[in-house]
Amino acid sequence: MVASGKYLDRARKLHPSTLVGDVRGVAAPDFELTSLDGKRVKLSDYRGKAVLLNFWATWCGPCKVEMPWFVDLQKRYGNDGLVVLGVAMDDTEAPKIAQFASDMGVNYPVLLGTDKVSEEYGNVEFLPTSFYIDRDGKFVGKGVGLLDRKEVEANVQKALASRVIGAATSGTATALPRTSQPHTTVQ
Amino acid sequence: MKRIAVLLAVAFLSTGWVLAQEPGSRVPSVTLAPVGKVQLKPGGSVSVQLDFRVGSEFHINSNQPKSELLIPTVLKLSAGAPVRIAGLNYPAGQEVAFPFAPGEKLSVYSGDFSVTAVVKAPTTVKPGEFPVSGELRFQACDRSACYPPRSIPVNFTVTVGSR
Repeated sequence: MVASGKYLDRARKLHPSTLVGDVRGVAAPDFELTSLDGKRVKLSDYRGKAVLLNFWATWCGPCKVEMPWFVDLQKRYGNDGLVVLGVAMDDTEAPKIAQFASDMGVNYPVLLGTDKVSEEYGNVEFLPTSFYIDRDGKFVGKGVGLLDRKEVEANVQKALASRVIGAATSGTATALPRTSQPHTTVQ
Repeated sequence: MKRIAVLLAVAFLSTGWVLAQEPGSRVPSVTLAPVGKVQLKPGGSVSVQLDFRVGSEFHINSNQPKSELLIPTVLKLSAGAPVRIAGLNYPAGQEVAFPFAPGEKLSVYSGDFSVTAVVKAPTTVKPGEFPVSGELRFQACDRSACYPPRSIPVNFTVTVGSR
């Protein structure tokens, strides 16, 4: 079920967020969402990677500003272990979201958001909202609303700087995602 | 003691100010001004002006946004039969460019705007009061964040008199 305003209003009353305020050091809730090409994608698939989890919608103007930044960051830091994951919170059908993402030149997986994942991430209702998750699956930052690009990149670098607990002590992060490189790259 | 109280007051106000500036810390509001008496006679029609106010610093898409991806402001009304809503007239949006898209003008409502509903009563209607109810659906943004679509109730009463 795609998120709707009425549900979010209810959810906010019934389930006060546990992800408000400073979320740094908190384990990011795992989720399983459907990508634009119909694959099931889990956050935990990317353990060992730094994840920029961006909640957005096609009707959100400020979200459109960030998307080219994310495209660029994915290109520049992808080999270092960055994965940008877009979570579309639209009521719109998937093909329209895919067309929009394609028009924006999105080069990272786009997943279809649900009420459940929104609730688990603190009732995400202000878009854009981004979470920066380290290689060990913990939050290193959160951004609500349109941030400065430098701030976004600084958060990405923080996430990349992390090391997986229990990983080889070679000084570089060598952990790989649990599955082969996914998923829904929209070209 | 007085100094502590002052410091606490300053700290409280500072926190409030900071929260007020954070995207997502405010809920966009659209309110409907009270609707005055609406009266008409059997076989007649009347235009009812519904005055809405968008909370400061927010804007909502107009009824005719410039992209099919944007969510238009839409008023849905239904009247107690046999009275009916014969039409709705929306104002044109203000064309505004925002800092998040300086090269693109959006069609929006901000501040005060009015939608006119045309209410008609058939000649056969008996005198009485007829409720009109519905909702205004809108999707708001401020300068750095957007908010999910919301709806507010819109209700008023139409009094049909005798001929």
